[in-house]
Amino acid sequence: MSITSGDEQSLKDEIADLERRLRDAKVRLYQNDSITVSPTPANDTALHAFLLLSDSALPLGSFAFSSGLESYLAHHKPSPPSASQLPAFHTFLRLSLSTLANTALPYVLASYRNPEGIEILDNDFDASTPCTVARRASIAQGRALLAVWDRSFKSQYSSTPTSDGTRNAHTAVAIEHLNSFSTSLRTSFDLNAHLAPLWGLITNILSLALHDSAYLFLFSHARTVISAAVRASVIGPYQAQAVLASVELQDRIRGLVEEGWEKKVEDAGQSVPVMDLWVGRHEKLYSRIFNS
Amino acid sequence: MHYTSPFTPSTSKPGHGSIILSLLPPNTPVLSTVSYQYPLKLVAPDPLPPLTHSSTDPNAPSLIHTVFLLTYGGGIVAGDAINLDVRIVGGTRLVLLTQGSTKIFRTEDRAVVSRQHMSVRLEKGGALCYLPDPVQPFAETAFSQSQIYNLHHSEGSLCVADWVTSGRSARGENWDIFEYGSRNEVWSVDEPGQGKEKRRLLLRDNLILDQRGQTNMPLSSRMDTYSVFGTLIIRGPVFTSLSSFFLAEFDALPRIGARNWGDSSAPQPSLPEKRRVERQAQEKSDGLIWSAANVRGFVLVKFASREVQGARNWLRDMIREEGSILREFGEQAVLCLK
Repeated sequence: MSITSGDEQSLKDEIADLERRLRDAKVRLYQNDSITVSPTPANDTALHAFLLLSDSALPLGSFAFSSGLESYLAHHKPSPPSASQLPAFHTFLRLSLSTLANTALPYVLASYRNPEGIEILDNDFDASTPCTVARRASIAQGRALLAVWDRSFKSQYSSTPTSDGTRNAHTAVAIEHLNSFSTSLRTSFDLNAHLAPLWGLITNILSLALHDSAYLFLFSHARTVISAAVRASVIGPYQAQAVLASVELQDRIRGLVEEGWEKKVEDAGQSVPVMDLWVGRHEKLYSRIFNS
Repeated sequence: MHYTSPFTPSTSKPGHGSIILSLLPPNTPVLSTVSYQYPLKLVAPDPLPPLTHSSTDPNAPSLIHTVFLLTYGGGIVAGDAINLDVRIVGGTRLVLLTQGSTKIFRTEDRAVVSRQHMSVRLEKGGALCYLPDPVQPFAETAFSQSQIYNLHHSEGSLCVADWVTSGRSARGENWDIFEYGSRNEVWSVDEPGQGKEKRRLLLRDNLILDQRGQTNMPLSSRMDTYSVFGTLIIRGPVFTSLSSFFLAEFDALPRIGARNWGDSSAPQPSLPEKRRVERQAQEKSDGLIWSAANVRGFVLVKFASREVQGARNWLRDMIREEGSILREFGEQAVLCLK
């Protein structure tokens, strides 16, 4: 069968016409979508709180901690010394996220779901943190988060009644537990204020969705480690953004949240045993620019 | 014909065992119960007096009991479940040992997880020294163990080790397991029996090695070329000097990345200092790294090494150098580290 040049031209025209119509139809479809969705965002209170917590300027002092990266790099000196530490960094980021998801994430989920358990969760998390360096880092950031709540968020979230009444009752209970925790922290030696359980409780009060809370918890950790890597001159700032933006990181965080979703706190544990050693031996570094 | 057995009916279940160490006043400990069922086997040799009668504790027991935890065939076959209860009353001391590494044999089905559970009750003035051989899970094994220590009112003394190796390295096995889990928990228990007993978690050390974690890395590369990982948990008055020894030695480790300018070494190093330098050189050549931390009334020691023997020698040398375990519990306490 042969196609004359005239036929070919008309076919091409037809294809172009169909493609144009398809494009137009799609544009019309999504215009309608955006018109129905955008004027009344379903949950902009949660979005607002999400933005507050995702801000790297949130005064948790996270910039002071490398979560073991500094010690890891000291244990893995490249040879020759001029060689890039980039592959080592990528390995560390994976292991560090996996560790956090296995040890801390179950506590985030549990305290979000169960605000009255905050004191037990805080104690159990403390009992499960095997080294002083990691403990110090977690408590420093947990206390800072609590201070942000006490000084900045509390008045906003305790007083303003929200539009839907159902959520309100739960939030009021959660706020009560958080406030009583904060009060007993000043008098009790048994409480520590670790970051993970407090993160779960506070994101509950700020009405973040549970999945968003967990995702943000892991994302913030990744951002902290990556930012530490920039300051340790392992990667450049643009490279850092590329790692943060990568689909690989997104998939990893999503996968970790999924894996940890049903994990009970009793089953939280260390999946990368050498991580405890790197973090624990941070104290033995000759020179340090981070606190962990 | 009806026949009534003159013996009390057996209550033991497969894999179950029980050890009760009680005290005959004033200070003679006796093993009042040692029972076990296949595949578990317990062997209790004659108790020995401590090497020197303890100078620190006038109430120290006159005899130290030792029990070997054994399994038929020297290991755990897929699907085995072992369940051991240990009770140590005040004023007694128990040494638990194994005879060679606990081998975990291959499972056909990765869903069949073999289990070993040990639950220990410790009263004030009681002490447990459990320095076993490492667990050696072969390739394609699924094993999960838990050691739960219940301390009455947070009292009692503990020195327990838990370590695991990468498999049969001579056959090229390098963390080729399906999964491995080991949980060590220490709880404080108040007034058992009176209604609901109150429990508080003092320490949880939970190691989970499986395919999860989204790392896209095989287990072997997650382990950073180490083939042994271990934890030593120390608590209580009997082990005070051992605890401080580990902390002091950790403190004395050379700084990572420091340079030796040649002006810091003492002109006349003392004997312990000389041995410390030797030990640190040995650590370096064995590729052994370790850390010690003082948390919640415990000293928690973590170690990793390239070869089993390196970790074994290190642990033995540290415990020998400090000496209190040998004095208080006798030579047999470190049998598994020889």
